[in-house]
Amino acid sequence: MTIIYMDNNATTRVAPEVFEALRPFLTDDYFNPSSLYEPAHGPAEAITAARRTVAKLLGKARPDEILFTSCATESNNTAVFGTIAANKERSHIVTTGVEHPAIFSVGEDLQRRGLDVDFVPVDLDGNIDKMEFVRALRPDTLLVSVMHANNETGVIYPVEELSRITKETDPSIVFHTDATQTVGKLPIDLRDSFKNVDLLSFSGHKLHAPKGVGALYIRRGTRCRPFLLGGHQEDGRRAGTENVAFIVGLAKALELAMARHDEDEARILAMRDRLERELVARIPYLEVNGRNAPRLSNTLNVACHFIEGEGILYQLSAQGICASSGSACTSGSLEPSHVLRAMHIPFSAIHGSVRFSLSRYNTDAEVDTVIEVFPGIVDSLRRLSPYWDVKKNEPRPEAMEMLTQTEMP
Amino acid sequence: MTWNYSKKTTELFMAAVSGAPGTHLGEIEDADGFGEHGSISCGDALRFTFRVERHPTDPRLDKIIEARYLTFGCTSAIAASEALCAIIEEGDFTPINALEITNQDIVNYLDGLPQAKIHCSVMGAEALEAAVFNWAQKRGVDLADLGVDIRHDEQEEGRLVCTCFGLTEPYIMRKIEELEMKTIADITNAIKAGGACMSCHHTPGGLQDLLDKVNGSRPTTMKQLPVLPMARAPKAQPPAEMSPFKFAKKVEEVIDSYVRPQLANDAGDIEIVDIKDTKVYCTMKGACANCVGSQNTIKMLVEQALKDQIDQRIQVIEV
Repeated sequence: MTIIYMDNNATTRVAPEVFEALRPFLTDDYFNPSSLYEPAHGPAEAITAARRTVAKLLGKARPDEILFTSCATESNNTAVFGTIAANKERSHIVTTGVEHPAIFSVGEDLQRRGLDVDFVPVDLDGNIDKMEFVRALRPDTLLVSVMHANNETGVIYPVEELSRITKETDPSIVFHTDATQTVGKLPIDLRDSFKNVDLLSFSGHKLHAPKGVGALYIRRGTRCRPFLLGGHQEDGRRAGTENVAFIVGLAKALELAMARHDEDEARILAMRDRLERELVARIPYLEVNGRNAPRLSNTLNVACHFIEGEGILYQLSAQGICASSGSACTSGSLEPSHVLRAMHIPFSAIHGSVRFSLSRYNTDAEVDTVIEVFPGIVDSLRRLSPYWDVKKNEPRPEAMEMLTQTEMP
Repeated sequence: MTWNYSKKTTELFMAAVSGAPGTHLGEIEDADGFGEHGSISCGDALRFTFRVERHPTDPRLDKIIEARYLTFGCTSAIAASEALCAIIEEGDFTPINALEITNQDIVNYLDGLPQAKIHCSVMGAEALEAAVFNWAQKRGVDLADLGVDIRHDEQEEGRLVCTCFGLTEPYIMRKIEELEMKTIADITNAIKAGGACMSCHHTPGGLQDLLDKVNGSRPTTMKQLPVLPMARAPKAQPPAEMSPFKFAKKVEEVIDSYVRPQLANDAGDIEIVDIKDTKVYCTMKGACANCVGSQNTIKMLVEQALKDQIDQRIQVIEV
């Protein structure tokens, strides 16, 4: 069976060009870049070059401001815990209710450790409440962390503006952004639009590099203690032997994403918009989560009222289509997506949410297939649903009020 | 977390969603037994109905001849509902005998369920029980008289342990006993308790304590953890010579009397969002909201006016 992969916000296929670039460092050039003998020069040089490339592509950042890590989760943990460790005199943190767990759960954990963490709410479309954001800033605020775009809904956050407000309020507040979903997709210029951003995290495997490599930008002068101790690598800011091959792959992937950006972006956006338009037209009681907010061009998160996402994914998968859901049954815990809950999406829709996320490797024919099979899948599950009136093809009268139920009864 | 359902489970699911003959999807009108379990907020819900062939003299000898379900839930919830109906129709059950069907029978029928999906089979058994109680009420059968324990009040009366799924102490304790659960993971897999926020796992009176109580080991005596001092309270300081209230009033006055009229000339307006210390947060309204020069307006007009008329330290921040 051919696979239609539409889960690119989860991970992406490694680009062939990236694989070719990194291959030598898995075979002949295996030496430890910290070693002194001649053969180790190649790997050491490769890291230097990769660092230069990544720095340049993020808006002429300095190479020494780029730290290579193992993943975006490590970058996020380093940013938060490193900032806390370096600034003992402040203990208030501002973040949002829709962050990736690599920030959201860290925030919850910090609360348990006695720090003061504010989660700024979002509106029904997932837009951050700017007034609440301003009110949350305090004289003892240490760190602000706001993601650049949300992994589940694709909603883009005004990082440029929020970082400016933060720095105008108090230049010593550290501003962090998790740009895992946006590096290579949205313009990021750390010398211009993002000049007020101190820390920026991302990973390779969302932009066609392998899993297991990430990066953290640390603006010069930002106080941030290392998270991993035990070596002098990365100027003593991140111990552990460098993952040479994957670092090379990350730089190559970023280069590729930038070079192909305009062409990819236009094609992906056209596919996403068509998918969205057709599904909305063909399926009653289907909502697009975040529809009125600025969104990433590759992400479509739809909510099918009164059915459960796992059964949808299972049937999609039976047809070779890979997507994901925010329902409780697919989350690994028994709790539905905290992002959709923060947006006050009713339970009738959260459990039936499905995310399609595209990449440059998707085709129009694949979009056609999804448009063709998805309505039938929704229909098959609604016929089983105790909340659905099959004859009228709408919710039963007693279920209508659930369309707005956002709190546990 | 990939799927690891048995062949039987996926077959029943695919048969159900494709509406294959022999499946039990639907709802019996004027059913003799009607039971529900779960809710939309929890992520799965089952409505179970059955019809009996009435015994002319003794309702206790009614035979279940038809069983139907409607299920909102995942693959295994739907397969478990199919299994429940199939077990009942294939067997020769009176409603009272049907009470002996356990969630394990459903699991066995499905050739096993993944641990994390055991709760789907429990949902089936619970809905069946509710439907039998409903039948007994309609037919005037006193189940308690027959030695059946009907604890229909335990949900209302007990202390809430798992607030996420609304499960009480007596209910969880009964399930620990019935399903011979040994660990917190067992409880979560079977009845979902503790599966969301997880805060009831080790608190006093939480799931571990209930397990110990039922299974007879020593209850954990946890010392209350010391509460760490919270962050220092904010210490915003308005200009020393003015109270915060007076300062805010003054800012408003200047904006009303001086700034607003000028912005109105261009069909614009301004709103004060917040004041912290000497920082005034404003947002531009009307024609000014989308103006590319709004940042300049804020600095040149608003900030300068406030500086000139109140305090040189004032800084205006656009939101």
